Amino acid sequence: MILLQSPSRYLLQILSTRVQNLEKGVELDCQWIEFDDVRYHIQASTKNPNLLVLSVSLPTPPPETVFFGGLPPEAIEAIKAAYGTVVHILDPPKDGFNLTVKLNLSKLPPDEEHRQALLGKIASIREVVQGAPLRAVLKQLVSRTVKSDLNKLISLVHRPNESFFVVPQADKVTVVFPMRFKDSIDSILATSFLQEFVDARRTAGLGNAPHYLWSPSPPQELEGAPAEALLANAGFVSFVISPRHVQGRKLDKTVWSLSTFHAYVSYHVKCSEGFMHTRMRRRVESLIEALDRAKPDWKKVKRAVQTRSFKRLSINDGRATSNSRN
Amino acid sequence: MDAAGSRPAVVIDNGTGYTKTGFAGNVEPSFILPTVVAVNESFVNQSRASSKKGSNWLAQHSAGVMADLDFYIGEEALTRSKSSSTYNLSYPIKHGQVDNWDAMERFWQQCIYNYLRCDPEDHYFLLTESPLTAPESREYTGEIMFETFNVPGLYIAVQPVLALAAGYTTSKCEMTGVVVDVGDGATHVVPVADGYVIGSSIKSIPVAGKDVTRFIQQLMRERGEHIPPEESLEVARKVKEMYCYTCSDIVKEFNKHDKEPAKFVKQWRGTKPKTGAPYSCDIGYERFLGPEVFFNPEIYSNDFITPLPEVIDKCIQSAPIDTRRALYKNIVLSGGSTMFKDFNRRLQRDLKKIVDARFELSDARIRGEVKARPVEVNVVSHPIQRNAVWFGGSVLASTPEFFKACHTKAEYEEYGASICRTNPVFKGMY
Amino acid sequence: MASLKTSEEDHHLYPGRVRPLIGVWRHRSLFPLSTDSKVTYIVISLDCPPPRILAAQLLKPHDRKTRFVNAKLFANTPVIVDLPVSLQAQLMANTSRLYLTCIRNTLEAAMCLQNFPCQEVERHNKPEVELKTSPELLLNSVLIYMNEAEKCLIESSINSLRISLKVKQADELENILTKKFLRFLSMRAEAFQVLRRKPVQGYDISFLITNSHCEEMQKQKLIDFIVQFMEDIDKEISELKLSVNTRGRLVATEFLKQFI
Repeated sequence: MILLQSPSRYLLQILSTRVQNLEKGVELDCQWIEFDDVRYHIQASTKNPNLLVLSVSLPTPPPETVFFGGLPPEAIEAIKAAYGTVVHILDPPKDGFNLTVKLNLSKLPPDEEHRQALLGKIASIREVVQGAPLRAVLKQLVSRTVKSDLNKLISLVHRPNESFFVVPQADKVTVVFPMRFKDSIDSILATSFLQEFVDARRTAGLGNAPHYLWSPSPPQELEGAPAEALLANAGFVSFVISPRHVQGRKLDKTVWSLSTFHAYVSYHVKCSEGFMHTRMRRRVESLIEALDRAKPDWKKVKRAVQTRSFKRLSINDGRATSNSRN
Repeated sequence: MDAAGSRPAVVIDNGTGYTKTGFAGNVEPSFILPTVVAVNESFVNQSRASSKKGSNWLAQHSAGVMADLDFYIGEEALTRSKSSSTYNLSYPIKHGQVDNWDAMERFWQQCIYNYLRCDPEDHYFLLTESPLTAPESREYTGEIMFETFNVPGLYIAVQPVLALAAGYTTSKCEMTGVVVDVGDGATHVVPVADGYVIGSSIKSIPVAGKDVTRFIQQLMRERGEHIPPEESLEVARKVKEMYCYTCSDIVKEFNKHDKEPAKFVKQWRGTKPKTGAPYSCDIGYERFLGPEVFFNPEIYSNDFITPLPEVIDKCIQSAPIDTRRALYKNIVLSGGSTMFKDFNRRLQRDLKKIVDARFELSDARIRGEVKARPVEVNVVSHPIQRNAVWFGGSVLASTPEFFKACHTKAEYEEYGASICRTNPVFKGMY
Repeated sequence: MASLKTSEEDHHLYPGRVRPLIGVWRHRSLFPLSTDSKVTYIVISLDCPPPRILAAQLLKPHDRKTRFVNAKLFANTPVIVDLPVSLQAQLMANTSRLYLTCIRNTLEAAMCLQNFPCQEVERHNKPEVELKTSPELLLNSVLIYMNEAEKCLIESSINSLRISLKVKQADELENILTKKFLRFLSMRAEAFQVLRRKPVQGYDISFLITNSHCEEMQKQKLIDFIVQFMEDIDKEISELKLSVNTRGRLVATEFLKQFI
C-alpha cells in the first residue's frame, strides 16, 4: 500500500456485513480510533436493523483555528451534499464527539454498484467532514470566484493541536505545512524525504504537478501567523495548487491527499525504517556466515585424528595450533 | 496519564493460524486475519542483486526499495497468491513462535496502517505470545515495536493468562486454572497459578484445528464425494465449522446415524469454481468423527494416541500438589477449535472418569481410615471462547494499571531491549 | 599541522612478548594518514626510536619509498614524514585501505592470547582487558586514526583483546543510521560471539576476543572477519543512506503523480 486510502476499512466492513445480513441484525457497540486522532463510535440494536448511529470526533483544533458549532466550517453542507437522505445529522452530538449521524440503510440505492459506492463514501465520512473547509476553498479556485479579501491566511486543523495554512489567491492556492515529528530520528528521516520532493518535482513527467518548496524557516506567506504555529522540526512544505489540479474528479483526491500529507510522510518514514531492518538482518546473516568460515571444519579434523578419543586442549596445544595457523 | 494513555490501547493477538486485532474496550476484535503474508517474489531477488554494482543497478535498487511495499496480508494475500504467480505465501508464525521476522514486521506494519489505520505513536500496545517463547523473541518484538513503530508503551502477555482473564468478567475472578488452548496450528495445555504460568507442566499435543480439517477432508475423499480437489480443504473447513458436533459415545452415534439417516446426514451445496456448475455432497459420519480426533487420536494418526483428557490429567498431576484442586476446578477452554457443540461436556465427563478412577484406587488402598474429599472437575466454557485470548487482552488493556505495567519507550532507550524479557503480572488482573 | 588528539595510554611493557614489534614496543599512537593541502604526510607520534622500523611494518606496500625526517622527538609531538609527490595521490586513494591494513597488522601482532586463570579469585577465568586490575597482564593499547572522526582502539592483555571502533558520521542522517545499525548489531551480540554488547565509552562498537575464541576459530580468519566487519559497516551505512534517498524520491513521485 503506497497511498493512504480514504474509506475507513473497519467501518466499511461493518456496513457491508450489515447490509448483507439485514435480517439478522446483531447488537453492535464499538469504538475505534484512526490516525490523526479521529475517533469513531458506532451503535446498532436488534430492534431496528436498518438504523445505525455513528459518532465521529475530530482532532482538537489549536488556538488559532476555531470550530463554529463544534464542526469545521461548511461541514454540514458537505455532508448533506454527499449523502442525501441516507444520513441524518443528530443534534446535539453524542458526548465527547463532534458529530453524530443516523444512518438509514433502507434508503440505500437498490443497484449494487451505486450501493457499494455510497457505502464507500459513508466510510470516508472523515474526509468529507474534516476536508470540508479545504474543499470549499479549492472549489472557489475552480470556479474562479475568490472572495475579495485576497491573501488572507486560513488555518485548518489536520492533527491534534496542529494546523496547516491555506492562502487563497485569484489563480492559485498556496498550502503551507509546518512539519513536526515527535521522534528525533523520524524528523531527520522526514527532512531528507521532504528535501527529495524538491528533486522529484523537477523530473520530467511531473511538470504538471503542483509547485513544491521546502524551507527550514517559515516562508513569507506565514507572516502574521501565531508563533507556536511556526515551530517545526522538519521544515516547512509549500504546495501551489492551480485550477487544473482540482477540476472534476480530482477535487476529492486533492483534498484527501493534502489533508493527510503528514500522515503519508510519517507512514513512509516508518516503512523505510522497517525496510532498513530487513537490510540489516540480511547483513547480519552474511556476517555470521563469514564468522562461521573462521571455524575449522570439525568433521575433517575428527576423521584425521581417529587415534585420540577426545581432544584435550592445553596451553601448549593452543599456542601450537595458533602458531601453525599463521 | 499522557495523551497515549487516554486513548484505548491496541490489542494484537498473533496466532499460528489467525491474528486478531482491535482496540481495547471492545467486545470483539476489529479484524480477524489469517497470519499469512504474500510477498512479491521479484523483490527478494532484487535486493540480492543490488549488492552487485551493475550498470542499471540504481533502477534495480529503486524497484527493490519500493517493491518491499508491494505485499498483502490476510485474506487478500491468499486470493492474490491464487490469482497471480508473482506473490509467494509465507507464514511467519510456526507452532506459536515467530519464525520469519521480516514477514512479521511487514505483517504488523500492514495491520497497523492498512487495517486498523491508527498511528502507532498514539497508542499503547498489547501483544501476545505463546508460553514457550524464548526471551530473545520478546527482545526482537520489542526492538521492532519501539524502533520501527515508535510505540509509547508495550506489554507482551502470555496467551493462556489472557484466556483466564477473559473468563473473570463473566464469573468470579480466578487466576488459577488450566487453559486448554486449541488453535489452528497448535494445541497447548497450560496450567496457570495466580497469574504465573507453571512452565514445566505445559503439555502440547500435535492435534489442532488444521488436523481436524484434514481428517474430514480425508474421510470425505475416501467416501468418494465429488468435490473439486482445489476446494476440498476449504469445503472441509466450512463443514467443520458449521456441522460438526461432539458425541458422547462413538458406537452409539454410529447406530444413531444408521437408524435415522435423514435426521443426521446433511447436504453441502457448492459451485465448481472453474465451470460454475453446482454440486452437492453428503455429510455423514464426519460430523462427529472430526471432533472425536481429540478424544481418540488413533483414528487420525498412529504417531500420537493419548487422548486430550488424559493429557490434561497428566499435566495437572505434574503441577505442584497444592495447586491441583484449584486447577481441576477451573479448566478453561479457548481457541476456535473448542467451539464444537458439547465439547466441554464431553471433556468434563471423560476427565472426571479418570480422576474418579484414581480416587477409588487410592481409597481402596487406604481402606476407609481417612476419607478424602472428592475432587471437583469443572470445564468452563463461555460465549467469548473463540476469541478468548483477544477478549482477555481487551479487558486487561482497559484497566488503569495496564499503562503502568507496560514497558515505555523511555525505558527502552535507556536500558535496551532486554527490558522486554519480563512482563509483570499486575494487580489489574485480579 | 593539524592537532590530532593523542590519548594517554599506559606504557607498561609485558616481558617476553617481543615477537611482533607493533603493539608491544613503547609507542604511543599511530596515525596512518592525514591530508593537509599540498603535501600528504604520515604523522606518526612515537617517543622511542626507531620510527622507521615501525613505519615499515605498518606501511608494507609503501615502506621502501618513504623518507623520514629527523627521528628525535618529544613526547606528544608528532613526527612529520615527507613523502614523494608520486606517492601522495596513491596514498590519498588508499586511505581506507591503509587504515584497514594498519589495523590488520596490529591485530596480527596483538592476537597472541593464551589461557590465564584469574589471579584474584580462585578457579575463575576472566578477560583481563576488561578488568585492567593487574598492569603486568596488559599490553600497550594502540590508537589508530583515519582522520579526526574515525579511529580504532586496540587494547590487549594476556588472555583477551578488545577492539573499539568509532565510525565516521558526516551528517545527521548518517549519525542516526549508524546508531540504529550498531544498536541492531549489538543486540545480536550472542550470535556474533566476539561482539561486545555495549561499546566502550567514547566509541561506537566494540569487540572482545578471548583465548577461547582463538582456540575455536582460526586466527587469520578471525582477523579477516573483523576487517570485513569494518568494511561492511561502512558499506551498509552508505547503502542505507542511499536507500533513504531513493525511498524519498519514490515517495515524492508517487505523491505528486496523484495531482496530474
